[in-house]
Amino acid sequence: MREQPVIIEIQNLTKRFGGLCAVYDFSGCLYKNQIVGIIGPNGAGKTTILNIISGIYPPTSGKVIYKGIDITGLEPHKINHIGIARTFQNIRLFEDLTVLETVMVGYSWRTTYNVLEALLSLPRVRSYEKESEEKSMHWLEMVGLQDQANVNAQSLPYGLQRRVEIARALASEPCVLLLDEPGAGLNQTEVHDLVNLIQKIYEDLSLSILIIDHRMDVIMRLCKWIYVQDFGKNIAQGTPEQIQQDPVVIKAYLGEEISNACN
Amino acid sequence: MDFYLTVALAIAVNTIAVLGTFILTGMNGMFSLGQGAFMGLGAYISAICVVNYHLPFALAILISIVISAGLAVLVGSATLRIRQDFFALATFGFGQAVIGLLTETVNVTGGAMGFSNIPHLTTPALAFISLAVAIALIWGFRRSHFRRDSLAIRSNELAAKVAGINVFKHKMTVYIISAAFAAYAGALMAFHTRYVEPAMYGWMTSVTWIIIVFFGGRDSLTGTVLGSFILLALPEILRFTSAWRILLYCIVILLIINLRPRGLFGNWELSLKSIFKFPKREKSVEAK
Repeated sequence: MREQPVIIEIQNLTKRFGGLCAVYDFSGCLYKNQIVGIIGPNGAGKTTILNIISGIYPPTSGKVIYKGIDITGLEPHKINHIGIARTFQNIRLFEDLTVLETVMVGYSWRTTYNVLEALLSLPRVRSYEKESEEKSMHWLEMVGLQDQANVNAQSLPYGLQRRVEIARALASEPCVLLLDEPGAGLNQTEVHDLVNLIQKIYEDLSLSILIIDHRMDVIMRLCKWIYVQDFGKNIAQGTPEQIQQDPVVIKAYLGEEISNACN
Repeated sequence: MDFYLTVALAIAVNTIAVLGTFILTGMNGMFSLGQGAFMGLGAYISAICVVNYHLPFALAILISIVISAGLAVLVGSATLRIRQDFFALATFGFGQAVIGLLTETVNVTGGAMGFSNIPHLTTPALAFISLAVAIALIWGFRRSHFRRDSLAIRSNELAAKVAGINVFKHKMTVYIISAAFAAYAGALMAFHTRYVEPAMYGWMTSVTWIIIVFFGGRDSLTGTVLGSFILLALPEILRFTSAWRILLYCIVILLIINLRPRGLFGNWELSLKSIFKFPKREKSVEAK
């Protein structure tokens, strides 16, 4: 695993919101074609790390290096253009767009026609639209939503909405996929299907995936390497087996008294 | 000229400006209270070019559109990155500043007395063809990725950014188009009424256009155009009620907004396809 080149390297990332230190001195690596997880209880600063990588806000200090280039503080759309796509914990779909149209939004910035050609309805516009429609259909098939293509995205059940988000992220044709708590709000069966889907996407597209969750089952099944965060600090990292036996992690998850009682 | 034709021409020209507000406020959810000012700039610049500098009509219109669009770039770079509610306030300030400018530069614009002696150059044919072209342009806009980007940004700007859309660039494009439409409508209007004064282009004008868009349906091009015809004709139709006219006008708008919150036409579009599909869709509803 370690022989693969580094795709994303995070160096000493710190983020303060006023007096609150959401992330403190986090360093970590995502290797090519690897699934890495970040776990930790609520408020551990997991989502903050993802938001910084995807450019939603800049870090207080520290760097994000992508394929050897410093991308710290780039705007979100530029982060997307260079090949990093993400999903959101609280699903962010678009009202009034169908499932297919939502996924097609991922292709908007790649369009080869300009606004004048669009206004004049030149034939090039139609042919390009058709092409991105076909490509988007392909992603919908991959997440199993081809039959719901023309349904309003927000009318779908929660579990399927999450799949729309994943398809939209894939439509950016990324190298790196950042998944922010994909299991949140799903029941046990849905989580199981989702983990299988992520596994399939990972194998078919040979992506690098950074996944955040506080559900151990999701992380343990998918990840080869895990970072454990607690109150903004990195308290452990290692393979799933190492993490499961780490006393510091058990303490953070179960609380001090209980782990003392166990001893 | 025949009274009805005069009214119809004014409605057609104003609808062009409403179309600009449709893509800006309707599709992108950006409330600009300075759209009327772009119409004023279009009117004044083209009129001054023709009357004072004897430029050809077409060139004068072109100059007025280019200057208005250029100003939209300036105003846009200052306002498009700020939050939507502040955008409304900032454009309001811009609009009133333009009105102030037109009122104060008395030796060029005639100030509050208005600018008159504009030749009558807007023919009915020019007005109606212009409207048809404007509708066709917006129709093309809505069949491209710009429609999806607009609705995506309106609904969830952060998600749109993360999906790779350059939100600032998109908003700027839309703002320039809407300013150009308003300026063109202003130019046509000036050469129709033959007289312009600053008070015609205040924030009330911008608000009227926004009301029309929400009345007709912010998700429907058909709705916006028909809504524009209805609401702009209504004051003339209600003329017989004299003083009650404003009240009745308000009642009609309030009724529509309460009974049909998504506008008179919702997201329905007039097209050959939808006419053929209509009976089918009704059947599938029955089946449910």
